[in-house]
Amino acid sequence: MAKPKIGIFGLTGCGGDQLLILDMEDALLDVLGNFELLRFQMGSSRKIEGPIDIAFVEGSVSTENDLARLKEIRDRSKCLVALGNCAINGCLQAGMAGGKSMDERRKRVYGEAEFDSKFVDSKGTGDYVTVDYRIPGCPVEKEEVVQAIVSLLMGDAPQEYTYPVCVECKLNEYPCLITERGLPCLGPMIRAGCNARCPGLGVECIGCRGPPIENSNVAKEYRMLLEKSFKREYILNRLAMFAGSTEARELVRKLREESK
Amino acid sequence: MTRIITVEEITRVEGNGAIEVEIEGNEVRSVRMRVLEGPRFFESLLTGISYEKVPDVVRRICAICTASHALASITAIEKAFKVEVTPQTRLLRDLLIHGEMVESHALHLFLLALPDVLGYTDIVAMTDKYAPQVKAALGLKAAGNMVHVALGGREIHGVNERVGGFSTIPSEGELQKIRDALASSKSAAKLAVELFAKSEAPTYTESENAYMALDPGERFGFLGESVLTSVGGSHPVEEYLGLTNERAVRHSNAKFSTYRGREFMVGSLPRVLLNGSKLEGDASALFRENRGKLRADNSLNNNLAQAVELLHAVDRSIEDIDRLLSDGVRKEVPMEVETKAGRGVGTVEAPRGLLYHDYTFDEEGRIVSANVITPTAQNLANIEKDYKIAAGRLVKESDDKIRASLEVIARAYDPCISCSVHLVRLS
Repeated sequence: MAKPKIGIFGLTGCGGDQLLILDMEDALLDVLGNFELLRFQMGSSRKIEGPIDIAFVEGSVSTENDLARLKEIRDRSKCLVALGNCAINGCLQAGMAGGKSMDERRKRVYGEAEFDSKFVDSKGTGDYVTVDYRIPGCPVEKEEVVQAIVSLLMGDAPQEYTYPVCVECKLNEYPCLITERGLPCLGPMIRAGCNARCPGLGVECIGCRGPPIENSNVAKEYRMLLEKSFKREYILNRLAMFAGSTEARELVRKLREESK
Repeated sequence: MTRIITVEEITRVEGNGAIEVEIEGNEVRSVRMRVLEGPRFFESLLTGISYEKVPDVVRRICAICTASHALASITAIEKAFKVEVTPQTRLLRDLLIHGEMVESHALHLFLLALPDVLGYTDIVAMTDKYAPQVKAALGLKAAGNMVHVALGGREIHGVNERVGGFSTIPSEGELQKIRDALASSKSAAKLAVELFAKSEAPTYTESENAYMALDPGERFGFLGESVLTSVGGSHPVEEYLGLTNERAVRHSNAKFSTYRGREFMVGSLPRVLLNGSKLEGDASALFRENRGKLRADNSLNNNLAQAVELLHAVDRSIEDIDRLLSDGVRKEVPMEVETKAGRGVGTVEAPRGLLYHDYTFDEEGRIVSANVITPTAQNLANIEKDYKIAAGRLVKESDDKIRASLEVIARAYDPCISCSVHLVRLS
């Protein structure tokens, strides 16, 4: 059977999700050996055209060039996987923008200087094209990517974590950073899959696996942190960091308004 | 007749960039290094953010030099609030920056640059003929990443390096494992020097280069408080604006830097040229052996310089671990921080060169203004200078040959294009 054809692409971001593939090190050659590699921007100078079975796309859409490339990738790919928060929801360049448009921020930083590139408000790929699967994280977790690749090779959908980091934290029997040390941990609302790495190191969860998961009680966490005497603005800034999706930004905006 | 040569997407580099060259007859009319990576305006995102969150935000500027960004950021914050850290923290940070250098240089030399030397598209294609070497190279890269994991918590965007110290101190067992991995893959670092010394760097970029690097003090290293330049003189890092002089250019989403009105270079070649006499052991021996090849007038020698530094970084990481183990690892917690209004500039040598973080805080420790200048942003003007010179010398060659050569130049600087974008002062 012919090997599935893959392409690995990067839009605007830190390059971390492509780098994580190179960071597979020992497993890198085994993993890539299952595929015919047509493109891997960070790792290869191959520029093979034609249809792709699975495209992995990292990075946010932040310029018109990003958007044109994304559409081109979508057109030639049977399956498109958004790799990491940037590609899923625009990550912190969307979440932390605080409602300011790209244009306002550009003027603030670059003044009136003009550019050949056309900038657009940072968003995930799903705002523009159909995304088949999403692997969350900033960056993604290596094991989750390998598992997703295995699932895709088998013709299955990659597994999604539907419970919060708190669950993994409890399973590891780590002391609770909120109740024991009064830290502003976001573990109760953030998608699991990291095996509660940060609480395990004594660092509170900052939410790098994306916006709060469905059915999590964000308002309750917000009030709890207020009761612990964290300042309103401080908590909202924390909540906003990885809350790039439209729904999450709306949620943070509402909390800001309500608490005014 | 106008001939336009375009590299639409530079590959085997971090981020999105393109190259355009316009040739009229036998004369190069213009060259442009187009940075297409979109801006993320980190400085704007940071306004009002509390200090302890700042390293978590800014390290996401770049994945490859994530620990360098974190260290520069933490240093700037500690200087602003006058936080003194323990000797063990200083030693762990020295290990962290050296571990990052091992990981990043191994990645660049073996996975990104070497395929050019050996005539392959990528490391995957190289495995048929060079399986043991590829395995050794990946082993060395993995050993560097073990430092990231032990000190930062993971390979990319670590969480454990904090203002005032480290949240969790790695165990002696963990450090011993890293030491073993580094020692057993040191031969790959020597192989890198051998391979890049043997392959004569192309001469099409040969031209005068100005350059600068951090003064590491008595011994070779990547941390320091003043900047040395090839034209002489030493400048405290606080005066970096006079060294970088950024300006916006229309064709690039990143600003371009100049010093005394001309382009300059940062990175491994500048570091070994300015500080190579401070190298020790095997790195010093191989530096002296290859001194004649490490010429300042050919930026492509940056690869060989990286290889020498790779060997240094392996040895220093081992030395740092040995010191930690012989002193006995103490379970310290980060120093307490008392916020106050003030400014701090933190500078490190990231794998690609000088990296500045400059923050001003209000009394409660929230960012009032921020400025970050990355090595690739500083190198962009010099890269264009090299394109122009190379295109002029290669003008009789085919478009394909010129395109390939321009990509080789870009790669030699090991650019982090993501890093270079949007990083300008917020007034």
